[in-house]
Amino acid sequence: MRQSLKVPALVIAGALVLAACGGGDDEADSGGADASGVKTGPGISDDSITLGVMTDLTGPFKDFSTTLQAGHKMWVDEVNAKGGVCARQIQLESRDHGYKAETATIQFPDLEPNVAGFMELLGSPMIAALKTDINDKQVTTMAVSWSSELLDQPYVIIVGTTYDLEIINGLDYLLEKGDLKKGDTIGHIYIDGEYGANGLAGSKYFAEKNGLKVSEAKVTSTDTDMKSLVTKFKSDKVTAIALTTSPAQTASAATNNVGLGLNVPMIGNSPVFAPALLDTPAAPALSKLYVVASAVPFDSSVPKAKEVATKFIAENPDVKPSFTVQYGYAQGLIWGQILQKACDAKDLSRAGINAALKSSNNITTDKLVSDLDFSKPGSPSSRTVYIGQVDKDSPGGLKQVQALKEFPDAKTYKAPHES
Amino acid sequence: MNTFIQVMVNGLGKGAVYALLALGFVIIFKASGVLNFAHGSFVLLGGYVAVRTQDDLGFTVSAILGVATAGLGALFIERVLVARRPLADPIALALLTIGVDVILTEEIIRRLGVELPFLGRPYDGKPIQVGDITFFRTQLIALAVGAVLVTLFFLAFRLTGWGVAMRAQAENREAAALMGIRRGRVTAAAWVIGGVLAGVAVLFLATQDFSGSGLSRGTHAIALVAFPAAIIGGLDSTEGAIVGGAIVGLTEALSAQYISFEFSKVAVYVVMLTVLIVRPSGLFGTRERTRV
Amino acid sequence: MSEGTLTADPPAETPSHGRRGGLLSNPATLFRWGVRLVIALIVLTPPLYFEPSWLRVGQYVMIGAVAAIGLTLLTGQAGQLSLAHPFFMFVGGATYCVLGSEDAPGKVGFGLPSLVALIGAILVAAALGLAFAPVSGRVRGVYLGVATLALVYVGLYLGQQWTSLSGGTASGRPSPDLNLFGIKTLRNDPEISFLGQAMEREQRVWYLFALLLLIAALLAWGAVRSRPGRAWRAVRDNESAASALGVNVPRVRAEVFAISSGYAGLAGVMTVMWYRLLKPDESEFAGTYSIVVAIAFLAMILIGGLGSVGGAIAGSVLVFGLPGMLTIMIGGNELFGTSGANAITPAIFTSFVYGAAIIIVVLFEPGGLAALGRRLKATAARTQLGSTLLSPKGS
Repeated sequence: MRQSLKVPALVIAGALVLAACGGGDDEADSGGADASGVKTGPGISDDSITLGVMTDLTGPFKDFSTTLQAGHKMWVDEVNAKGGVCARQIQLESRDHGYKAETATIQFPDLEPNVAGFMELLGSPMIAALKTDINDKQVTTMAVSWSSELLDQPYVIIVGTTYDLEIINGLDYLLEKGDLKKGDTIGHIYIDGEYGANGLAGSKYFAEKNGLKVSEAKVTSTDTDMKSLVTKFKSDKVTAIALTTSPAQTASAATNNVGLGLNVPMIGNSPVFAPALLDTPAAPALSKLYVVASAVPFDSSVPKAKEVATKFIAENPDVKPSFTVQYGYAQGLIWGQILQKACDAKDLSRAGINAALKSSNNITTDKLVSDLDFSKPGSPSSRTVYIGQVDKDSPGGLKQVQALKEFPDAKTYKAPHES
Repeated sequence: MNTFIQVMVNGLGKGAVYALLALGFVIIFKASGVLNFAHGSFVLLGGYVAVRTQDDLGFTVSAILGVATAGLGALFIERVLVARRPLADPIALALLTIGVDVILTEEIIRRLGVELPFLGRPYDGKPIQVGDITFFRTQLIALAVGAVLVTLFFLAFRLTGWGVAMRAQAENREAAALMGIRRGRVTAAAWVIGGVLAGVAVLFLATQDFSGSGLSRGTHAIALVAFPAAIIGGLDSTEGAIVGGAIVGLTEALSAQYISFEFSKVAVYVVMLTVLIVRPSGLFGTRERTRV
Repeated sequence: MSEGTLTADPPAETPSHGRRGGLLSNPATLFRWGVRLVIALIVLTPPLYFEPSWLRVGQYVMIGAVAAIGLTLLTGQAGQLSLAHPFFMFVGGATYCVLGSEDAPGKVGFGLPSLVALIGAILVAAALGLAFAPVSGRVRGVYLGVATLALVYVGLYLGQQWTSLSGGTASGRPSPDLNLFGIKTLRNDPEISFLGQAMEREQRVWYLFALLLLIAALLAWGAVRSRPGRAWRAVRDNESAASALGVNVPRVRAEVFAISSGYAGLAGVMTVMWYRLLKPDESEFAGTYSIVVAIAFLAMILIGGLGSVGGAIAGSVLVFGLPGMLTIMIGGNELFGTSGANAITPAIFTSFVYGAAIIIVVLFEPGGLAALGRRLKATAARTQLGSTLLSPKGS
């Protein structure tokens, strides 16, 4: 026993010695400047700008991400053909985290030194796990999440209307249509977590403002049978259902809404719907669902949306189209403008890029998403939405029923970190 | 009142399928002493074959193929892996089935890719309204099929030579062997039956009516819910599996309605723990004999 | 990995054998020292040379190792199958945050010194393990395995409901920094360097985890070789006989469950420090404290060799380490030429490897990697047969 303890004891001693060794070795970020005086930083070379992508190509969001990436690629090809940004070609470097936080945690330090910023970081568990890293490395990151809870993060970009505002706008739409009235009860199914909690904040605000009640139903992301919840909604006599759920949960809620004879209209945040749902037995019941999103529906008549859609179908005839094509393309447009702004200020370092973001109060994407204002910390970059109704004859599965609009309650709503 | 009746209907409909799964667990455990963690992957295996063939062969043929594959898959696992270590510690064998389960599940999920294929075209999504109560066709058929299969099984268990052999073997393996019972055959048959029951169950699981999801990791997860059903009834009691299935189905449905949806999954395990504290071998299970 | 050999040290070996014969005169001792040197190098040098992402993989492996050591004591030494480890990890992590954080709006915090919080977390996890005695003391074998599964569901439910403690699934709560006698672990405060390499967060966390793992392993080795270990094995092998020998069976069963839970609690604290975040899972099948993790721990101890402390560490290298290593190695490339929905990802590949490893171990090498290690050692020591050789692991 004595013998076998010796080496470990040495190891402990060694570790302590190591820990006690003082000394300074400052590693400064070696930011230089190029010939034209533009300050550079990680991910910037003389002829290229590299943006990172951390996505899920093999986990639960694989179909969502696949079309999103197609959108990125279309933008990158286009902008590079026109000479790039700041006389540099845009390059994307991607990693697939498979929707696992531990994988993303390991990948981040591997990818981060090579990129100027992140074009995409998908999934709220990953965003939560990497928050500290992102702040430490001061790397501007476009999150694929629309939670207004993230708006206190200085380096995180949320493109468009947040979940709470989507729900408020959607319920306002039903109110205007006469499907809801004072004294009614709304049933809200939401996934416990950043996504669901943020959506629920919206319906609570709406209910309080308009004298309605909310019947809350919390689920986990793997629950798929919504029968007992809809049974409960029926006994609570709800007149509309709000969804902040996954597509499979949406399908089940829709089926049981019809199956159990409740038959009320449903509204949902942008992630609740996936075109693949139209191939399931739930398809007929889904026509009662309105999807509220700041991104344009794939099949919209907005000219730029049409242009991107046509090109996408030509290039990817076998892939099921989705609104994430235009959304991914719009993400590119936004990054393009931020980088251009940083370039104009002759500072492509991480600090320069973030400063460019903070001063961007009017970013436009040809109405792929509404105009965006990133200059007010804590406040969502937009409050307007498109509304699409599920329709199996439209490519992408959604028929636009409401063009970009900001409903009255969305105007007055104060987001969690808004001052 | 209508709500209560609807809740009971929902719960019993689910309970019927849980009972099929739990019965499969129990039969395998009784014959071979193995707690089969791979049951969920048998479910996926049967379902995978059925969804891959249903477009070409039609529902009925594909369903039969799926059920047969699940049964044969179980037989394969038993013959090739489990039978090699007849005297191994039950915990080691349970872990062995975990190994099988991990591989089989990952591979099937990988092959499914982005698809979420549904089964049960003839009955899924076609509810019947009686007054204010909705009966889902999937659940009615699951109840009927379950009743028929369970009856057949119990008849076989009581009346055939195999049933007698199996009961003898579950009672005392050495004595059964000395009496000339061929352990191999009895055990193999039990695994086939377990696999077949899993294959039947998936025809109801991967539906909009039952789980709201097509064949996926979630289908595999539901098989885990059948664990408590088997444990509550008692791992070596076939009758217990049926009762356990019903208890789990009703506990889920009632607590989702009257307590909260989030609590409903915990409620099943709370019931299970309570049963175990009072009766460490489940409601109908044989108490463990003390060996000296 | 070769740590497996260390467990094989027989309980009674120590006093007599020829250490005094000089280091070089005894091949078995030489071999032992060689192995220790290699391990010391493996543990001490990576922070000097490796990229942060590799260090994070190593840290993750050490978390798994601590948890697996706890489980191998319970399942391997004392014969109790448990799937509840993720629950006790969650309890440990949450307790560490609650005790070590300052009070904040909506989040309870006691603001205790972080070292106190760390010890408190281990104690609370162990106490909850003890509180499970009515079940762990009465329920046996595979029934216990499923019974413990209940705790994973309970943990998930409480984590979601009790947001003032857990921080909630939305954004969780940050991990307190471990302040080790003035040296912060998660920040460069004070700045230090060693052999020209700045000791930043990843390096600090590495050495801290190595220290914790070392303590955890030494305690486990000590317990296995002395009285508690003998009682555990007696209860595992035959309860009636154990009780005839004067072992208080229910008490031993409850004790080992509590000790094992304490290990899981420590692993939970390490997990929270690794993510720098406590965040309850969103579902029971995927996440940090989920059923998948419970099964991964079982795989570790089985592959390593049930009951073997070194084997548990080796198992963690395979099960927790492999996916991360593959992830970094393939980088943005595709594994095996496939991509998209049907790709074989590092996670899937690892699942295949460890699924197959479980099957092979149960069928062909029930002693796991520990048994392989013992054979290696026996080969090295063959000149000393009969004097250095070991009784089979643990019993």
